Amino acid sequence: MTAAALNTQAPTGKAATPALTPAQTSAHTQAQALDGWLPERATDGQDPAWVETLRSAAAERARALGLPTRKNEGWRYTGLQALLQQGFAPVSEALEALQPEDIEDLLLPDLDAYRVVMVNGYFAPALSALDGLPNGVVLGGLHTTLTETPDLLADSLGEVAGDGAHLFSALNTATLSDGMVLLAERGVLLDKPVELLHLSVGTESPGVAQPRHLVRLGEGARGTLIERYASLGDATYCNNALIELDLGHDSVLEHRRLQLESPNAFHVSGVYLRQGTSSRYDAINIGLGGRWARTDIITRFAGEHAECDLQGLYLAGDGQLIDYHLDVRHALPHCSSRENFKGIVHGKGKAVFDGLVYVARDAQQTDAAMSNRNLLLSQNAEIDTKPQLEIYADDVKCSHGTTVGQIEPEMLFYLRSRGIAEGLARRMLCLGFAGEIIGALGIEPLAEHVSEVVGQRLEHAPL
Amino acid sequence: MSATPDDVRTADNPAAASAGDASAEYDHLVQSEYEHGFVTQIESDTLPPGLDESVIATISQRKGEPQWMLDWRLAAYRKWLEMPTPEWAAVHHPPIDFQAVSYFSAPKRKELKSLDEVDPLLLETYEKLGIPIEEQKALAGVAVDAVFDSVSVATTFREKLAEAGVIFCSISEAVQEYPELVQKHLGTVVPQTDNFYAGLNSAVFTDGTFVYVPKNTRCPMELSTYFRINEAKTGQFERTLIVADEGSYVSYLEGCTAPQRDENQLHAAVVELIAMDNAEIKYSTVQNWYPGDEEGRGGIYNFVTKRGDCRGVNSKISWTQVETGSAITWKYPSCILRGDNSVGEFYSVAVTKGRQQADTGTKMIHLGRNTSSTIVSKGISAQHGIQSYRGLVRIAAKAEGARNHTQCDSLLIGDKCAANTFPYIEVKNPGAKMEHEATTSKISDDQLFYCRSRGLSEEDAVSMIVNGFCKEVFNELPMEFAVEAQKLLSISLEGAVG
Repeated sequence: MTAAALNTQAPTGKAATPALTPAQTSAHTQAQALDGWLPERATDGQDPAWVETLRSAAAERARALGLPTRKNEGWRYTGLQALLQQGFAPVSEALEALQPEDIEDLLLPDLDAYRVVMVNGYFAPALSALDGLPNGVVLGGLHTTLTETPDLLADSLGEVAGDGAHLFSALNTATLSDGMVLLAERGVLLDKPVELLHLSVGTESPGVAQPRHLVRLGEGARGTLIERYASLGDATYCNNALIELDLGHDSVLEHRRLQLESPNAFHVSGVYLRQGTSSRYDAINIGLGGRWARTDIITRFAGEHAECDLQGLYLAGDGQLIDYHLDVRHALPHCSSRENFKGIVHGKGKAVFDGLVYVARDAQQTDAAMSNRNLLLSQNAEIDTKPQLEIYADDVKCSHGTTVGQIEPEMLFYLRSRGIAEGLARRMLCLGFAGEIIGALGIEPLAEHVSEVVGQRLEHAPL
Repeated sequence: MSATPDDVRTADNPAAASAGDASAEYDHLVQSEYEHGFVTQIESDTLPPGLDESVIATISQRKGEPQWMLDWRLAAYRKWLEMPTPEWAAVHHPPIDFQAVSYFSAPKRKELKSLDEVDPLLLETYEKLGIPIEEQKALAGVAVDAVFDSVSVATTFREKLAEAGVIFCSISEAVQEYPELVQKHLGTVVPQTDNFYAGLNSAVFTDGTFVYVPKNTRCPMELSTYFRINEAKTGQFERTLIVADEGSYVSYLEGCTAPQRDENQLHAAVVELIAMDNAEIKYSTVQNWYPGDEEGRGGIYNFVTKRGDCRGVNSKISWTQVETGSAITWKYPSCILRGDNSVGEFYSVAVTKGRQQADTGTKMIHLGRNTSSTIVSKGISAQHGIQSYRGLVRIAAKAEGARNHTQCDSLLIGDKCAANTFPYIEVKNPGAKMEHEATTSKISDDQLFYCRSRGLSEEDAVSMIVNGFCKEVFNELPMEFAVEAQKLLSISLEGAVG
């Protein structure tokens, strides 16, 4: 039904059939809400044919997929109602008025990094800092690369994400135009981290930005990517970002993601990862901001002996929804993965965690451990967690563990008996809980920043 | 699942190849015929296959049911017609033609006053199964309401139970004799529209058990029903309703075997448990239905809805199950923890081998304050077996102080089987404490080596390790069942190791 609703070519008479129930009719109108996210024409005639094919195939897929409903397993706990009500329209052009001074407050002092800034989904060279890149590294905007040297992208762009996990990925591919490109040739060691800053500025009518990024590390290359989402003011907007990570043989990528969007922001992001033989991916996802945030992390192994380490911390407060979906598919033997996510939910916040570890029949000697621990601090908070294992090989070591609880009264009592006020004691315990993940961030200025934001949040949170 | 990738693989994977040789050694064991596979020749009064309102009316009429019962069935049937077949479970089977199933089958001679009048053939069947009723009667402590196909033919120990005030009879009898009790409770835990198979069961259920334990009564013995599916092409639609009134206790055992048949036999039972204030119900199941031949043909489809309602304060419902049979098992014994301080437990051992598929687990719905639940699920998957644990723990906003502990472990034997875990955890109360852990592994080589170096055969070693793996659950079973279950497990795994 939703498929037909999204499909503009569906016979128009269909919507008028009396068989439609009121619920169906409303779904129909909602589906059209995202129809506007698709480009009017899949092609602008300037890009190579394979890019155009990629876009039009994705547009077709988006129409066929339709809006996910709560009956769809991946969206069981994540309603789209609030997002649809906003009537987001695509941001059509780059905002060029911003000056480097305007974003100074948002930069991390002491962070020495190459910087790529996206403003409302478009690459802003004036705000970026790309000087002094080592040889063998391409770092810049996707649009420029597509226009000037599209062949550089041919084997990776759209290949890693494939058909994507859901409608939003398809929509992103269908509108693919700008974003960041980071390509490192064989053996390159990036001397400094690369910071990818998504900056969102309010527009007259609430807009949706759909940046598309690609990171490819050649054999033995190493790098660090810090991906941040921030906004100027309390703007209402939507980000539908997608990043493809293509890790070659023996390469190592450290990925730090910090989502600190405005309290009115909607956030959808997809991380698609392809790991070559003996590559290592080490990611920490911090989800603090936004009103409604959904992140999908999808890992596929393309070679044996690869390691994938996913960690995360989320803090959902009043009116917030933070949703992480992990999908790690072990299709080859001797790979290992670790998923460790921790969450604190307070106020009327809601958090969703859905992790799937899939071990295919031939993936012997797989080592996978998933853990999801949650602190539920208030009466109206809610956590829905679903750690899943699907195992088709026998010589494996797989486990998962989940806990949901509150602060241990004994611990609280201990601190209070040492003369620490209850509020402070609770904060200390929460920070201690979150400390494991924050401490693992490894990049000092970033860790300090996160720790400060988490501390502030807990101070104001009615615990 | 297709077998081709494995065959290709064994050639270039020495580990897999040697495993193949080892399993060939046990082939004679794997191929041993199903122990309980025999068909008793008794004339049956069977309705032709098919289902419509007149079939339901006929069933109701043959059972001499009052009008309200017929209305209830018809209401369920009409709702069922609108329900889609569930497809979410991780099981695969050809679509079931519900019109090809016969919905009623009863052994012809009825109205028996004592065991002497029971068809000797029937009695012999029970003897073959190792539970002769005469012996059962003599064996203190167990009353058997034997269900042969769809009509109860023998009920024992009725007098002793009656003395205590416990009602233990077939559900058809209960509809006649205790209509007010049945009408009051039937469908209150599993409503007609609960799910597709519960809907079907509500429309056509032909027999089952009814237990009522009055206030402050401890049921003097363990109650047990032996289910059997005998007539070819007959779906078995059991309906069990157990009501434990305030302060009472009852332990109920359910065990199953079925004769070998080539056609898939559909079984869609509904079990409803109701525990009032301070009452406790313990429900144990050993299920060993025909799992089909090596290719999975002809096994039983077991689509069961089991749910307990802890309605009163301090009530407790405990499910223990040992599942070794059926081609497909689709079963989630659940507890609704409504009363404050109520307790729900779920202990399960499930074995899948050959082409068996099991999608099983539990739901613990915490509504009352200080409710607690424990889930221990042990899955053993061998050969081409597919096994999924699917569980839900929901802690509602008002369930202050709720507590849940879940542990699900899977043991994989062989490289062609599968074990899945799909837990759903929904918590809305900060005072709740919820823990879930799951592991999946194979029998460790070290353990095997240790046992073998002590002179145990590989088979014995595996059996020993597996029994240890399941011990936590077996401990929850009543004595007789525990022994039977361990034996069953060893028999089930014979030949599956290698």
